[in-house]
Amino acid sequence: MSQLKYAFYTGCSAKGVAPELYKSTYLVAEKLGMELIELEAATCCGAGAVQEKDEFLSLTINARNLALAEELGLDLLTICNTCTVMLRETKFKLDNDPDLKAAVNEVLAEAGLEYKGTSEVTHFLWEVIDAVGLDKIREMVVRPLKDFNIAPFYGCHIIRPVYLIGYEDPDNPKSIEMLIEALGGNPKDHEARLACCGFHSFWSAEEEVTLRLTAMDTKAAKEEKADFMVTPCPLCHTQLDAMQEEAEEKIGVNINMPILHLPQMIGLALGMNPKDLGLHKHIVPTDEIIKKITASA
Amino acid sequence: MEFFNLKVFRYDPTKDEKPYYQTYRLPVEKGMTVLAALFKAKEEQDPTISFRYNCRAAICGSCAMKINGHGTLACKEQVTKILDKYNTDTIVVEPIGNVKPLKDLIFDFDYLLEKFKKVKPWFIPKAPPPPDGTEYRQSPYEHHKIDFASDCILCASCVSECNALKANDEYLSPFVLAKAYRFAADSRDGAKRERLEAVLDHLNLEWCVRCWQCTTNCPKEVQPYENIIRLRIMAAEEGFKTPGERHAEIFEEDIKERGLLNEMLLPIRQEGVIGALKRAPFGIKMLFKGKANIADFFGGHKVKRHDEVVKIYEKAKEKGKQVQIRIPQILGVVYEDKRKTRKRANFLDKEGGNQ
Repeated sequence: MSQLKYAFYTGCSAKGVAPELYKSTYLVAEKLGMELIELEAATCCGAGAVQEKDEFLSLTINARNLALAEELGLDLLTICNTCTVMLRETKFKLDNDPDLKAAVNEVLAEAGLEYKGTSEVTHFLWEVIDAVGLDKIREMVVRPLKDFNIAPFYGCHIIRPVYLIGYEDPDNPKSIEMLIEALGGNPKDHEARLACCGFHSFWSAEEEVTLRLTAMDTKAAKEEKADFMVTPCPLCHTQLDAMQEEAEEKIGVNINMPILHLPQMIGLALGMNPKDLGLHKHIVPTDEIIKKITASA
Repeated sequence: MEFFNLKVFRYDPTKDEKPYYQTYRLPVEKGMTVLAALFKAKEEQDPTISFRYNCRAAICGSCAMKINGHGTLACKEQVTKILDKYNTDTIVVEPIGNVKPLKDLIFDFDYLLEKFKKVKPWFIPKAPPPPDGTEYRQSPYEHHKIDFASDCILCASCVSECNALKANDEYLSPFVLAKAYRFAADSRDGAKRERLEAVLDHLNLEWCVRCWQCTTNCPKEVQPYENIIRLRIMAAEEGFKTPGERHAEIFEEDIKERGLLNEMLLPIRQEGVIGALKRAPFGIKMLFKGKANIADFFGGHKVKRHDEVVKIYEKAKEKGKQVQIRIPQILGVVYEDKRKTRKRANFLDKEGGNQ
């Protein structure tokens, strides 16, 4: 059991607008025998914003985050796609450029830290599949999600770019579908499976780009008659769930598509209480899901 | 597998009301490219299929098309690899997405060319060449900055699944911004500000959603995404005030002051009091659902060992001025797909899947 031990990087969202992700991650991780040591000294990853103003600063800040995991001698586990890609980008750039690594370490030395490159950056989804294993998940399911058509929404930064992520084929990933099947659910293919939620251009192109993408994505899942969408990223979740109403107004169509965090979906199949998993905290009501899942028990 | 299906998008606006698909059965041959398969279908089964091609060696960029949903060069993709990649017996070829199809696999490049012209994709010298008769000079690092961006062959693979362009056809598109960067970042070019103004018109540069799809599709490793981000860095350095630049500033402040982002106070800092008032109904909705961290309204808490962050921030700001960050070489970085077990359900089979 103890070998599934990680330095847990929460990211800002799980500590801010997505407390239900934070809580459900801990609940599910414990059940699956994953030990999470929270990196309470870690900072924001910059989310791509700092990266486009001061790249060196973003690299050093993230090198510190990685160094914190190295101090514990553990791999760093994220629950956010953007955190994953930003930390992996830092690791990729530093590991492939000795001069840059030296410059970053010169800065980290000010705080008595050093980036060595010994900890991997991994995502909750990948560890559930590779470290816990789908066979074990299958055995642990007490409430198979057989009554649910589930639309996976990967979110860009868990599949692209391949040189930073490299976990699976970015043109045809399968991990979430495989997990859904292991939980007894029916994965639903839809046109927005690999699309973008629009989150990262919210403040500069809310009307022009962001809400239009949000509407297209949720509508695509609706067209395939999905009961809910599931995403491994809290930023996608905030965009698709909390901003769905605004997106609906934009296109004048009622969508009402519930969005679940990945650990919430796993938790439901493992027999956990929907309230403990925070399903009531979503903006788009999840009542139908709760009704169905309690009836199936 | 002995045979496979080549499912071709067919459309002739002079006689077809709407596009349809036609399937050709072809033998699987080792080393056969998708372009070669198209030739075989055209020569042996149906001479009416239209598509563009020229060099057959991934240099000219003419044969860009959507293969099983993703923009790429037909001459670069091998039939056996595509069948394996999608775990299927059918290869679906369609014209590049986000652009109007003209006939079968041929798309309207003129539409992209109009966008392309807006960024003046040619060299505007900063100064006349050296009087001693030598050429314009630049350092290896200065060249490195534009090295990858110069490799663009204008094939439009990056356009195909661009999320910003999908949402809004006024978006300039990835290769256009990559080309704007290629000249704006050239130490010999004299029209940097003019070029930045052109891409910031209607905040177009800021419409990119950072989905990395362009870099994923690009058959020449141009990395349009990296170029777009670098263009934004240049705009910030040149003092252009944009929402994106303000957003970055807030993130920087929060990392320095407390470590994590204060999401609760983000709207008011991003858009001011008036702008934030517009967001009040949204805020109330979030608060009501218990999605707001009340402490954050009063500044929130700091991460542990925050003193380290302050020290690092100050030093990084100083050191950053001397550091030359390189664009990573991504050619040859491959992934290992251990999970080829699941068959891809096929939403591409739907009528008009390209639209």
